[in-house]
Amino acid sequence: MDLAALVFALTGAREDGCFVDAWSIAATEARRLTLGTKDARTGSPHAPLALSESLAARYKIVWSDGRISRGVLDRRQIEQDVAIALREARVTSYEDPDAKIVLGPAAFPDVAVFDAAVDEIAGGAVEPLAPRLAAIRARVAAHGFRTWSGSLQAARATARVLTSQGLDVETLGTSWSWHATFDGEIGAGISRRSPDDEASFLARLDRAIAVALALREDASKRPGGLVPVLFHPDVVEELFIAALLHNLDGAAVAHGTGAFRREQFDAREPVLREDLTLRHDPLVPLAAGAYRFTQEGLPARAVTYVVGGRLVSPLLDTKYARRLALTPTPSPSAMDTVFLEGPEPRSYEAAAAEAAGGALVLGVLGVHTQDFTSGDFSMSAPQTLALGDGGRFGGRLRATISGNLFAILRSPALRLVAFPGEHTPGILALCHLDPV
Amino acid sequence: MFLDTLISLDPVASALVERARVRGAYLIWRAQERTCARVLVRAGRVEDVATSVSSGHGIHVVDEHGGGALASRDDFHGEPALGLFDRALEAAGHAHRLGVPPAFLSGLAPERARLQPPGLEAYRRFDPSRAGKRLAELEAEIAARAPGLTTTLALSTDVDAWRVVRSDGGDVAWVMPRCVLRFSASSRGTERHTVGASVSGPSPDLLDDPAKVATFLARAEGAARLAAALPDAPSHPAGSYPLVIDYALAKGLAHEAFGHASEADGFRSSVLAKDGRFRSGDTVGAPHVSIVDEPVEGDHAWQPYSSSGVPRDRATIVDRGRLADALTDPWSAPMSGARLTGADRAESFRVAPLPRMSNIRIEIEGASPAQGAFEDYGPEEVRELLASSGVLARHPEVVYLSGYSGGQVNPTTGDFVFNCKAIYTLGAGKIRLHKPAIFSGSMFGALHAIREGYGPLLLDAIGTCGKWGQSVPSSGGSHYFLVLEPAPTVRLGGR
Repeated sequence: MDLAALVFALTGAREDGCFVDAWSIAATEARRLTLGTKDARTGSPHAPLALSESLAARYKIVWSDGRISRGVLDRRQIEQDVAIALREARVTSYEDPDAKIVLGPAAFPDVAVFDAAVDEIAGGAVEPLAPRLAAIRARVAAHGFRTWSGSLQAARATARVLTSQGLDVETLGTSWSWHATFDGEIGAGISRRSPDDEASFLARLDRAIAVALALREDASKRPGGLVPVLFHPDVVEELFIAALLHNLDGAAVAHGTGAFRREQFDAREPVLREDLTLRHDPLVPLAAGAYRFTQEGLPARAVTYVVGGRLVSPLLDTKYARRLALTPTPSPSAMDTVFLEGPEPRSYEAAAAEAAGGALVLGVLGVHTQDFTSGDFSMSAPQTLALGDGGRFGGRLRATISGNLFAILRSPALRLVAFPGEHTPGILALCHLDPV
Repeated sequence: MFLDTLISLDPVASALVERARVRGAYLIWRAQERTCARVLVRAGRVEDVATSVSSGHGIHVVDEHGGGALASRDDFHGEPALGLFDRALEAAGHAHRLGVPPAFLSGLAPERARLQPPGLEAYRRFDPSRAGKRLAELEAEIAARAPGLTTTLALSTDVDAWRVVRSDGGDVAWVMPRCVLRFSASSRGTERHTVGASVSGPSPDLLDDPAKVATFLARAEGAARLAAALPDAPSHPAGSYPLVIDYALAKGLAHEAFGHASEADGFRSSVLAKDGRFRSGDTVGAPHVSIVDEPVEGDHAWQPYSSSGVPRDRATIVDRGRLADALTDPWSAPMSGARLTGADRAESFRVAPLPRMSNIRIEIEGASPAQGAFEDYGPEEVRELLASSGVLARHPEVVYLSGYSGGQVNPTTGDFVFNCKAIYTLGAGKIRLHKPAIFSGSMFGALHAIREGYGPLLLDAIGTCGKWGQSVPSSGGSHYFLVLEPAPTVRLGGR
């Protein structure tokens, strides 16, 4: 990755009588291959075999008068138009004393983030994709699904952070992901740094198909009310963990736009049930969320956000760490390095049996319309299965669910549930469910 | 001005077209240059100014056997572009090994045009420092009207320039300017709620446009007062009710419930199609209800040409209760049985365009008048409107859903959801505020349930559509208010 022209221009820049006092660059050069399937047509014009090459650099400049410039440059600016880009950066500069920090060299941990097989696919070798497609198509045919959609994706990316303080760190990583959705209803997928093995791939696919088949039968009519609801790990990530991370964001804490206040961190009063922990570990080998350093050049390390139900640390970049007088933290980039933990999770079978008379919520519509600040939720849950005696599937319920996320996470009735093949636990809790 | 770079790429375009001719391939070449900026103000100070530039080109090729592939790169150099073409064509040749069915494109009229809307020079004059000061002034004014809240204001500017060249001679280039002024307010108590408001326009001068600023202040004040009141509001019971929705929610209904299902790339599974063919002529709603999608000049989601270089047409998706037009692109139109409406849009040069909406609206034949501006209508005024037109005589209590905060649909099943910012129950002599709740149902039930409309068309409800992982601006609206009769398949969530 050649950033010499950009670095040279930064060190010599003079604008408005000011020079560059400090700077940092976080650049990524990537190559990616994607193959989509839309409405059972693989590689159709709407989901074609796609190859892309990109180079982009996120920058921060601290000018000699203390003003800050931030932005993203593309390849053309980096390689050809850097002088113009810096002139425009100066025009957009602003006062922000808390944003002046530029990091220097540090010891960076090692974590596996590269896989040679993914690298080959990202370079254009499509053959390894064929058996995966064949397995999906065979199951679609065998089970009589009307349609399916999905994608397979491989990428390689070099990430580099350079700063005026002498930091220069680089890493080469890969990413692999696939997902498949059956009849537009329910699907499966995974993102990692390396491909999942064939057995895991097929097992994940078959679990999704089992619930897709169960959704074909309608449940008998039942009244609404407060019932045991087993939230699938996908819903836990999308709703519960996403809401927690949203409110833990340092900017939200500093500005009072989130649910948590600065004084609640390291306070004795719990905000969640006292046996719940939320932490992040970017050093899990080959996890999608694994990395060695942040875009600011902060070394990756494990961070605990909530322990014993009490707030420990927000998610903090250097600006908001300084603003809140706390230590900066690495932030999660994928859910497989985020851990929601508590008492020993129940097995799926035991939890489903305990939820008899309630429901298994596999997917929800409208998460992005919820107000995560209040924690109130009201959503449609069209992919919901009634749970009968012993936890057996009792047919499909089209339902709405409502409640408050924080109330559920404080509830004595809450149970964590281990779902086969899933990193994140499911949640069993009492929740208001109204069948349509 | 903003097309200069893309127009200067004639040599690259010509070289690619020539290579396609020599290799017997069909080419759609898309070049894009997009410049964005955002100024964010909190508590009277500028917290962030961020800029980004994204430019590059995508080469979509179809080889002589109908194999297709897309390759993209973020520069405009000639040699790498030709190398990229060769990689794309090679990948297209591999397509059959992966079971990719052949797809050909032909018969498109080779449109040639350049389109830059007026007023673009305002982007060259745009001064983020001045914008920051102006945002702080507006924040102070809102705080004076509705004190005691934590507020955020942001101005986003976006100039999105495209050129699409096809090997059949088509060559169009256009610029889409967009600005959005956003506000959000969070209550400060133990239980916090956040409510937002926005206005949009094609120029950053909207900060100095008295009419836009007045609308913005009125909407922001309403959002702030709502954020302060919601923590004490109860939840509304779930169920089916007589409903009033405002024009922004009507946009959500049109977009989520009908727009997506009329996009022809999904006709193998859409409830508005059978065996891949659009169910044109089928009755899907009440005979006084129409749904129209079209690019509106100066609008947030305006796009005059499709990402295949075809002029975008007005599409009357529902014409007085019957399905009429689908949202089609050159790939999907022939198979769908619907006419080509040039509806394909792409988030960036890196991705394949998809048929999708621009500005979508619900029109009611014989809508009743509503005087004044939409912002003049609080819940009391809405109740008066309903009372004077006899709705409250028909239903002693009506549930009024106010403000749109996003939605989602499953086009395969026709299930849609969207959320509001507040719920009011309107009855004789009483108005009660409730927390927001999901509004969900089946598209057919919803469209049949629409009974009345009030006020002129207002089409400035904006959003971002995230279909297939691609974010593009969306917009639309309806009359100020629509009344929906209770229907078992259209429900309000809640407790």
